Amino acid sequence: MPEEEGGGSLIHVSIKAEPLFSIGPFEFTNSMVGALLASIVLLVAAWYFTRRGSLVPSRVQSLIEMPIEWMAGILAGSTSRWRGYAALIMSFFLMILVANWIGLLPGVGTIGLLHEEHGETVLVPLIRPASADLNYTLGLAMVAFVVFVWWGVRINGVGGYLKELVGEPRYMAPLMFPIHLISELSRLISLSMRLFGNVFAGEVLLATMLALTFVVVPAVFLGLELVFGFVQALVFSLLAMTYITLAIAEHHGGGHGHEGEEKESPKVQQHQTDAAPTNA
Amino acid sequence: MEGNVAAGLAIGLGAIGPGIGLGIAVSKAMEALGRNPDASGQIFVPYILGIALTEAIGIYALVIGLLLIFIG
Repeated sequence: MPEEEGGGSLIHVSIKAEPLFSIGPFEFTNSMVGALLASIVLLVAAWYFTRRGSLVPSRVQSLIEMPIEWMAGILAGSTSRWRGYAALIMSFFLMILVANWIGLLPGVGTIGLLHEEHGETVLVPLIRPASADLNYTLGLAMVAFVVFVWWGVRINGVGGYLKELVGEPRYMAPLMFPIHLISELSRLISLSMRLFGNVFAGEVLLATMLALTFVVVPAVFLGLELVFGFVQALVFSLLAMTYITLAIAEHHGGGHGHEGEEKESPKVQQHQTDAAPTNA
Repeated sequence: MEGNVAAGLAIGLGAIGPGIGLGIAVSKAMEALGRNPDASGQIFVPYILGIALTEAIGIYALVIGLLLIFIG
């Protein structure tokens, strides 16, 4: 559907990623270019910094290690099994962060191929930030979903997991089971929609500001998007971590009502206070 | 055309609730920080999570608006 009325509009907004070329039934879209680019940046960075890493960090190395140590401090405060999922959460964080920030580079979304579409020429950008495509965020959210359901099943067993879904007073099961099921599934939707909505809205905001105003004003919003990109990466990974923590912590509360959970919480807080001085 | 008006209304009205909610969340967090600045490490993660969950409502409105424009 052409969004802009006639020609002249500088703002081209497409809610889905545009295909660049297709190999058989498989369409290669411009958001895949963004995702590939983010992966390559991360792989090269990982290769470069692990090769040159030393026990006494140089200035650059400690700059790279600082956010990772900070994230590890938060992770270590969640549960005692944090090593089991730390790599996943960290990967979520780094991947989304790089994918978001690639979208802010000059040329992304402005350099592209001209396509004929419904009788008018439309610029199809070569690179689209990966998180501005719902397929990508939904994929990430599905990974997170599978992992936190898997942790729930691993800790409580299949029966225990289903028992959590059924809820406490057993006779309320016909009412509560669908509600719990929907609330589990809504995590999937809200995780993916939040990231997609934020990044896509950010792209639209930047495009609008670039079209409407002059040099200085878009730069302010570019800085704002830099912060939002970081916050959204953090939010996605922290929410994934919280869901996994909930799936694990249900085990301690299971069978004994809420006593176990209350016993658990001071320990968690203790961990966090231990981690806090290293963050500051 | 109706779709565009509906989308504008959806995001405009849908932003009221999260706006109020975010204001409350941020003001309480700042209050807590003012009372106990050392607790910033402990406040930060629940703060970010709470903000994300509040903001999700606004994002739902945005998604409905996008659906109205592009699909409806």
